[in-house]
Amino acid sequence: MKSKTLQITLIYTIITIIMAVICHQLLTTYFSLSQYPTLSLLKDISFILITGLIFSFILAKNEKKNITIFEKLNKTNEEIKESNEKYDIVAKATSDTIWDWKIQEDSINWNKGIESVFGYNPQEVGKTSKWWFDKIHPEDSIRMSIKLYSFIEQKTQNWQDQYRFRCADGTYKYVLDRGFLLKDEKGRAIRMIGAIQDITKQKEEEQRLKLLETVITQSKDSILITEANSPDGKIPKIVYVNPAFSQMSGYQSNEIIGKSANIFKGPKSDSEELKKLLKAIKNEEECLIETITYTKNKEEYWVRFSMIPIFNNEEVITHWISIQRDITDEKKLETEKEHLIRELTQNNKDLKQFSYITSHNLRAPLSNLIGLLNLTEDIPIENEELQEILTGFTKSTHLLNETINDLVKVIIIKDNPSMQKEEVSLKEVFENVFSQLSFQIELHKPIIKLKFDKLPQLVTNKAYIESILLNLLTNSIKYKSENRKLKIAITAEQVDNKAIVTFKDNGIGIDLERNRDKVFGLYQRFHNYPDSKGLGLYLVKSQVETMGGTIAIESEVNKGTIFTITFKN
Amino acid sequence: MLEQILCIDDDPITLMLCKKVISKSSFSHEIITAQNGEEALHHFNTLKYTNDKNKRKPELIFLDLNMPIMGGWEFLDHFTSSAYNEFNSAPVIVLSSTIDPEDLEKAKKYPIIIDFLSKPITQQMLEYLKKKIDF
Repeated sequence: MKSKTLQITLIYTIITIIMAVICHQLLTTYFSLSQYPTLSLLKDISFILITGLIFSFILAKNEKKNITIFEKLNKTNEEIKESNEKYDIVAKATSDTIWDWKIQEDSINWNKGIESVFGYNPQEVGKTSKWWFDKIHPEDSIRMSIKLYSFIEQKTQNWQDQYRFRCADGTYKYVLDRGFLLKDEKGRAIRMIGAIQDITKQKEEEQRLKLLETVITQSKDSILITEANSPDGKIPKIVYVNPAFSQMSGYQSNEIIGKSANIFKGPKSDSEELKKLLKAIKNEEECLIETITYTKNKEEYWVRFSMIPIFNNEEVITHWISIQRDITDEKKLETEKEHLIRELTQNNKDLKQFSYITSHNLRAPLSNLIGLLNLTEDIPIENEELQEILTGFTKSTHLLNETINDLVKVIIIKDNPSMQKEEVSLKEVFENVFSQLSFQIELHKPIIKLKFDKLPQLVTNKAYIESILLNLLTNSIKYKSENRKLKIAITAEQVDNKAIVTFKDNGIGIDLERNRDKVFGLYQRFHNYPDSKGLGLYLVKSQVETMGGTIAIESEVNKGTIFTITFKN
Repeated sequence: MLEQILCIDDDPITLMLCKKVISKSSFSHEIITAQNGEEALHHFNTLKYTNDKNKRKPELIFLDLNMPIMGGWEFLDHFTSSAYNEFNSAPVIVLSSTIDPEDLEKAKKYPIIIDFLSKPITQQMLEYLKKKIDF
């Protein structure tokens, strides 16, 4: 503009000087001095008029041009303003972090996102690309910068990359960075504008899904996904099968995808179970069935098959997931087990019947023997030898009777593991026990200490607790020491929710080092006593256990024995 | 003292013991016996149609369970039917060597059974029954 003004002024000055010189020459040559002032005035006026016309023409032309330029400028300004406003709105509205990098000056500007998304204070944010690259995860930074600079070299316009960007708190966020390259008229990259999107959630979700997918692909159970619906009301078409399915069924995924899951049906499939499955599909309900199914080679196998409907956010069913487990071995074992249980139950029943019949058949003649011996008691017998024989007879018969009665008790306990419980007074129980043993107690006069004040009542089976205490007391008397007076101490107390009954004597004891495992066994005898049957402690333990309790023994030879019985009370 | 009682048992020794023990105590004037259920029913049938004005009806029955031809349960099924209404007011005492708990359960279903006792019959048992039946 300036040069043009100078040009015009220069041309004008030269022309006017030339004109002035020519006019002066012409005037001095052709006109007299007297005419000179008039002519000079005329010349000046015409000169002024001509230059005025020229100026007005130039100015008018210039003004026109200036208006057009001004209008153009105005328009451009408006456009820039609008564009800037749009940029501001977008930058504010987007959750992305926007950066603006002047490549040659290496100056970079960040929008608010660097604060809101990554937590940096404005004063922490660096103004160079180094600050940016420093924040990229070491595992990603080299790859990312190589990719970025090779992009700038190639001068294509759009660039994008994923990397981890460090936040102010030191944690990393997965980001998707997309950039746009600006070039000057010579095609040099001068500026780049980009937007960083936080994709941490997507990335984490992606990793979680990958992990879940591993479960499906590595699962030993077959997993099959089908479409939601089948137009013909059959089992819908398969869209996915996992490797375990291929192994189980023999079908490769490409052979089976797109087909109806109905192909597993065969002659031995349980039609009732399949009906159940179809009904569940119709009602869009979860279901679990067990059926025989077939491999590709028509080999049958048992499968436990579950179908689970998958619904989208609008509660519309989108797929079915089916999990299948090969239960052929399980079924085989189950059948064997059932067979075994049936057999055992029958055997047990037979044995029980046998024991009832045997004991009945033993008891019948035995009761006759006892009845007959009772009759002889009233008949005076003078022959001493016969009397002796009869006494032996009576003793043996009663011992036999006791043994059989004990055995019968064992049979009944084993047959009826459940029994009625009631509130029992320990004092009453002991009164009954003592009355049954009155003869022996009178004979040996043991010192018996009872201490029930802490637990006068016990919820238990009266007959059993009586039998237990009777057996223990009988044992104490039977196996008392000949060297000292028999002392028996019985205590009962409540500890937490347990009743503990302790039965202690100073008898001959049992050598537990040798006999611990056998103490409560059947037909175990530890002393050479003629009327020891080897049943008492077995019966005691059976009865205690039937009542849900435990029994423990401590004993020392020639010192005595302690039995501790624990019940839930 | 009862006038007449009936013992039903296939074992002759049991019957002999019953007779001896009962006759020793003042429990009943007369003891009649039957070897199984059928024989007992036959006795009642005969009794039903006899014209003897002095005929005696058993006032108490001792019954065994395991017997050949007709056991105790089968006998009771017949005896408690209306055909024997004339006689079945007499209470029944089961006298057996059984230990089968099922027998005890079954006995509870027959109101005619007033007790379930274990052999052998004894004086004490008779004393107990006297108190129970109250005569």
